[in-house]
Amino acid sequence: MSLKNKLNIYRSYISNQHDVPGDEKKIEQEREEINIPDREQWEKHDVYPFILDDRYCFIREKRYPLTEKRGNYSFADFYRAIAAWQRADFNHPLSAKGYRAGDLFFFDTETTGLGSGTGNVIFLLGYAYVDGEEIVVKQHFLPEPGGEVPLYYSFLSSVKYQTLVTYNGKAFDWPVLQTRYTLIRENLPKLPAFGHFDLLHAARRLWKHKLESVSLKNVEEKVLGIKRNGDLPGFLAPMIYFDYMESKEIDGILEVMKHNEEDVLSLIILYTHLSFQLLGLDPEQTSREQLSVGHWYSYIKEVDKAVEIYEEGLADYHGADRLQALNELAFLYKKQKKYDLALETWIEVAKHATGKLQVGAFIEAAKIFEHQMKDYQNALQLSLSALDICEVEERQEILKRIHRLERKVERFGSFPG
Amino acid sequence: MFGKQSLQDIMEMMKNNPDIRENIVHWETIKEKEATYVPLPNTLHPSLKQALEKRGITQLYSHQKTAFDYGMQGVSFTAVTPTASGKTLCYNLPVLQTILENENTRALYIFPTKALSYDQKSELNELIEIADISINSYTYDGDTPVAIRQKIRKAGHIVITNPDMLHTGILPHHTKWVSLFENLRFVVIDELHTYRGVFGSHTANVIRRLKRICQFYGSDPVFICTSATIANPKELAEALTGKPMQLIDKNGAPSGRKHFVFYNPPIVNKPLNIRRSATLEVRKLASLFLKNKIQTIVFARSRVRVEVILTYLKELIKDKVIAKGIRAYRGGYLPTERRKIEQGLRNGEIYGVVSTNALELGVDIGQLQVCIMTGYPGTIASAWQQAGRAGRRQGESLVIYVASSTPLDQYIIQHPDYFFKQSPEVARINPDNPIILVDHIKCAAYELPFKQGETFGNLDIEDVLDYLAEQKILVPSGKKYYWMSDAFPAHEISLRSASQENVVIIDQTERGNVKVIGEMDTFSALTLLHEEAIYLHQGVQYQVETLDWEEKKAFVREVEVDYYTDANLAVNLKVLDIDKERKAERSTIYYGDVAVSAIPTIFKKIKFETHENIGSGPIHLPEQILHTTATWVSLDKELKEFPEKRLEEGLLGVCHAIKNIVPMFIMSDPNDVFVVSQVKAEMSEKPTIYLYDRYPGGVGLSDEIYQKLEQIFLEAKHIIKTCPCESGCPSCIGTDYQSETGKKDAIRLLTYFMDGDEERVS
Repeated sequence: MSLKNKLNIYRSYISNQHDVPGDEKKIEQEREEINIPDREQWEKHDVYPFILDDRYCFIREKRYPLTEKRGNYSFADFYRAIAAWQRADFNHPLSAKGYRAGDLFFFDTETTGLGSGTGNVIFLLGYAYVDGEEIVVKQHFLPEPGGEVPLYYSFLSSVKYQTLVTYNGKAFDWPVLQTRYTLIRENLPKLPAFGHFDLLHAARRLWKHKLESVSLKNVEEKVLGIKRNGDLPGFLAPMIYFDYMESKEIDGILEVMKHNEEDVLSLIILYTHLSFQLLGLDPEQTSREQLSVGHWYSYIKEVDKAVEIYEEGLADYHGADRLQALNELAFLYKKQKKYDLALETWIEVAKHATGKLQVGAFIEAAKIFEHQMKDYQNALQLSLSALDICEVEERQEILKRIHRLERKVERFGSFPG
Repeated sequence: MFGKQSLQDIMEMMKNNPDIRENIVHWETIKEKEATYVPLPNTLHPSLKQALEKRGITQLYSHQKTAFDYGMQGVSFTAVTPTASGKTLCYNLPVLQTILENENTRALYIFPTKALSYDQKSELNELIEIADISINSYTYDGDTPVAIRQKIRKAGHIVITNPDMLHTGILPHHTKWVSLFENLRFVVIDELHTYRGVFGSHTANVIRRLKRICQFYGSDPVFICTSATIANPKELAEALTGKPMQLIDKNGAPSGRKHFVFYNPPIVNKPLNIRRSATLEVRKLASLFLKNKIQTIVFARSRVRVEVILTYLKELIKDKVIAKGIRAYRGGYLPTERRKIEQGLRNGEIYGVVSTNALELGVDIGQLQVCIMTGYPGTIASAWQQAGRAGRRQGESLVIYVASSTPLDQYIIQHPDYFFKQSPEVARINPDNPIILVDHIKCAAYELPFKQGETFGNLDIEDVLDYLAEQKILVPSGKKYYWMSDAFPAHEISLRSASQENVVIIDQTERGNVKVIGEMDTFSALTLLHEEAIYLHQGVQYQVETLDWEEKKAFVREVEVDYYTDANLAVNLKVLDIDKERKAERSTIYYGDVAVSAIPTIFKKIKFETHENIGSGPIHLPEQILHTTATWVSLDKELKEFPEKRLEEGLLGVCHAIKNIVPMFIMSDPNDVFVVSQVKAEMSEKPTIYLYDRYPGGVGLSDEIYQKLEQIFLEAKHIIKTCPCESGCPSCIGTDYQSETGKKDAIRLLTYFMDGDEERVS
């Protein structure tokens, strides 16, 4: 029996969760010459074909003036952020020092699925960048699966992949792009290494404490003051694309393009706002945000910058985690070898904190007395205070310290020197 | 106290003691075999040579050298390797040598289970360590920590995995494995014989996908398979890998003299042909050896049996030290537990191991002196694997097979010639099963678009691609077919379970630890998972408490009962298409596709040892339709001389006998092939007997049956004729209908169908 007849017999066993009801419109397969369906309609919406050999993709381009406002900022503020980075004397993963504004490409994709398996297809590559007095949005669209070579060719020849700015692109967009690229790599130049700013990571650091979700949409609404009107929910994009594959109706795709455009434009604003946070340029910045920023600088070992921001942020902050932050500041002082300040801060923490934090502060203060001031008597006193309140598992360690200090007190007397 | 008896003393006693002697049906002595050695190859890398020498290996067995030569010449091969014949060197030597010659070389090792891959990894790493060479080998499976996965993808010379992980974890992500696929030189498939039926048919398609991806990256690996003894290792390997294979079946490993004893428990009820329990006989026999500290392994078919035998033995043996040295060895063991037992066996702390068939699979625990099988393990191939557990390279060993009262067991024990002379079973797969094929074409399209005219394992699949395009799963564009769906197809396809829609089996024995223990296709569930059914899972008995047919869920609870359940299925069978037919003397044999509609009617509870019917009940489940492949045989003329009722009952008896012996010809479980009869077949109106695959679309069983139908029928006739019962028993025609004439009629009918000479042909 032919395979075709077999398929008919065994049809019901073959799971088809992807069954799409409705009439069956066949996609034209043979094309003698490049015939681009609905070309005029596309062009009405600023979408033009890009042809390479006998395949094509579509490219849409839109421009906006820098003066246009989006949420709490205008695009012109992005220039201010870039300029401010140039003056910074410290490092940061988001620093644009050494780059010009036009170097950054704010990038987002729309794909047919989740995950990074080989069969997840990118059908829209969108990005925004500044070009003199204008913001440019460019989008490369895959009208049919065979057009991936022109899609990637046109995309890679118009962006700088050294400086892509994304939202979760490190874990998603870029790996998916690399995967699809591998499949057609025999037709394209080798994909170079790339540099990357991923803003999701930054948003998590700064707003995790106050936002339920750090989805781009939520950050736009709650942090950037951006409201989208009638925007398409992102999860619908794959379905719209599958529908387009069949019906070739372009309306849905235009909506997906609009959605993608909103995303990349917001990324500019988000980057601007994050830069203002990190550079202390936002007059509205809360003390809590300052502490998060300080914590970040401390994490990347920009100690001086971290101290500066902590000091500022702690000046009038009375939140529950104040002592935690003070404790961190004390460590930073210690790193700066400002032992007096470190000691003073730890004693402050030890006075008000409880539990492990308090024990830790006593011990740290004791260490400064012991190693820096050579004041064994005070070091011993503080260690004994720590012993009073410590947990069982910390006891052994503290006792050791106390015995050592007792010996030192005996040997050197209770006074420094 | 008496002095210790040696194995020789006990064998002498077995021959002389009438209580034992009269139950011994056959005593086969297999002569010792000298090793055939050849020197280590000159070309062998000095580090490898040194490593082997450090392990005391100064020469190779002849088959290892042949394997090395084939491997180095880039020729794919299959090596048949009995237990303890040094099979791992057959692939490790050429692979390591090639990597040492070119460090970009990559190899992929595929083992059927995770446990086996861990075992092999430690052995391989040991060799690498002794050789002091920098070769990275890693296991890559579901347990591999995410943190080291990237390193394995980029830098693993040898990646050890299983078919399931290859299917869902590696192939769909091939772009992350570029350095593996670009440089893949060897694919090693161990335990080839386990790739049969549904699992083998799926895996063959996974390998088609693997080869397709290799081609994309420009590699063309050599395939190396190792297999236990089966009838058709070369054919199976070629079907599985799609590569022409050289066969290495001359084994150079030595073996000591081996005694193989067939032991049939005495009959306790003559008319019903009931024998004493095999478990009790095994207890008696095993204690003979254990008391004398002769290391013994006992195999039992189920976990429950293992426990029962273990308890018996521990009670029976008074010597506390010995009793402590008897261990159970069940499925699901951990490598560390295994190591302990291995060690105990080596240093003599452990005398006895009672094991399920889990141990059969390639795991090396060293060799013991005596092996006792409680019942026939199902195939000649497994029987030899189990027997291989006893037998050192030097000295004598003893294998005792104690038959249970199942029909297959009784057949084997009464025909030792069959067991010793017949070649072992054929293992079949059907990679072109349309359902399995379509599943994997979806996965393959996800991995790489199909070009127009591209074949899949040499199969023209344009029809499938068009079908999938019609279903909107693929989109044709240009001259290619593209995957266009948000689904990840490999996740929806299990390599090990039958069909798409399965009944999930949920164990609710422990409150608060309700867990899924398995799945079953709906057609089989009709007779195996109805309410009150006894369901066996890894040897544990469960009773089905509720079956939610709508939701496809069966809720079971662990029980311990001395019966099994057997359901009757009212079957209506329709021929859809005939692919092949041939004439026999008085009948015609066909092979093709059929639609089977089945509705379960009642079930019976049947006592294990006596086969008494101890209760029954109705089953209320909707009709199911199964499309599958079948072989059937139709008489050329009606049988007017038979009264209709006798004809019907006679045919049922014939079906019963045939169903039981099919596994002797094809590696399959008794439930994999159904046998039904029709007094008047729909088209021919003549008596007809059908044998069909349980799995939708068939996995090659009925195709094999088509070729061997005469043999199968003649064996069935022989079984019935020589059965010692009076007028039918579970060992021959079954006991569904008790009539004086049943046995006679069945024999006559079989003669009509296959008009061979009256004697059995062997």
